[in-house]
Amino acid sequence: MMATELIPVSVLTGFLGSGKTTILSHMLRQPEFSHTAVVINEFGEVALDHELIEKTEDSVIALTTGCLCCRVRSDLTKTLQDLLRRRDDGTCMQFNRIVIETSGLADPAPILHALMTDAALASRLVLGSVVTTVDAVAGEVTLDREAISRKQVAVADRIVLSKLDLTGEVEASLHDRLTCLNPAAPTLRAVYGRIESDNLFGVALFDPKARVSWLAEAREHNHSAHDAEIKSFTVVRVEPIQAVALTLFLEALAEHCGADLLRLKGIVNVAESPEQPAVIHGIQHVFHAPSWLRHWPSDDRTSRIVLITRRIPREWVEVLLDAISAEVAEVSASNR
Amino acid sequence: MNTLSIRLVHELITQSLAAWHVAGTVELTGDRTIVIGAKPEIRIEPAQADSMFRWTITIDGRTRPAISLLAVLRQVRGALDPAYAACCVRIALLPVAPS
Repeated sequence: MMATELIPVSVLTGFLGSGKTTILSHMLRQPEFSHTAVVINEFGEVALDHELIEKTEDSVIALTTGCLCCRVRSDLTKTLQDLLRRRDDGTCMQFNRIVIETSGLADPAPILHALMTDAALASRLVLGSVVTTVDAVAGEVTLDREAISRKQVAVADRIVLSKLDLTGEVEASLHDRLTCLNPAAPTLRAVYGRIESDNLFGVALFDPKARVSWLAEAREHNHSAHDAEIKSFTVVRVEPIQAVALTLFLEALAEHCGADLLRLKGIVNVAESPEQPAVIHGIQHVFHAPSWLRHWPSDDRTSRIVLITRRIPREWVEVLLDAISAEVAEVSASNR
Repeated sequence: MNTLSIRLVHELITQSLAAWHVAGTVELTGDRTIVIGAKPEIRIEPAQADSMFRWTITIDGRTRPAISLLAVLRQVRGALDPAYAACCVRIALLPVAPS
């Protein structure tokens, strides 16, 4: 790997006891993960998880200072910078991937923010996929009781159902619940920590194909009474959107939704670039710089912006985009 | 001149109050004025044609300009939602074409 090549950082999250470490341990025994650096965060006074990982080199780091999401700036960024320095110095292996296992109580959003916004890290690292483990036995009860577990599911790119060796099959109600919370994330199955897919972290979040797939699968969902506050919907526009209008729209969402905007992804037909769609991505009040596809993935050239939100009405998002687009169009016309 | 559909802005303000969980009524009067019946009362009007601003907002009798709908939303929410703190985060302008 060239020194300038971005190293993907994937996040493995999931509530306490949902099988993260078991899955990670199994994964690291696979040859394709032999060049993976692992950062493990534990919330307890004594770190154990990193001891459970069968490691071949000193590329497993335990962060024991507290819950990662609460100290993400001071701890995670420092740890990652240190890891990169050691890689550059040749004092640890030349890893080509980093996996962060969060504590079971961690809100993944601040961790994703740090990965997306830290200037020092951004030149070396790129956010990979977010994988969330859900206990097939106790998952439904946990989702009922723990808001953080619902958030962990909502931000996932992939959901891994663990402990299927205990249950055999997944309860339909749990499956429905996960689909409601995050309709776009494929659900994988883990038995004794083994996952049916060998591509768990294989596709980065910023892979256009992955995002287009995410969009294709997303559809409007309202949720059961337990998750009534979390909704997923897609804003679709046939007419191209002016770049300024899109920017102002995202700014308004960031300003007025904040933490209630759990996830946003979209493919947008920007008026100034009709042949190359923009791919946008945001979590809460942080938006990544748009990337541009080389061409449209299909004949469908509509803009599609998928949002997973808490207590944000779809109607507001729709009229917000319409009003901002209309104002930008009017100003543009008057300046001609 | 600001000829933006006032009905669209009326709908935006109505939906915004709902999204922010702020109580109040939103009425559109005949002279292109939106009146938010809340505490304090707020009036939103298109600015005069010769103004460099696009909107005029009157809150509790005090009038101030706004350069865009985003600025209108910021002022309205700031007046109605005590928990709201205007976010200083700004998003860099989208590059209008791929580099």
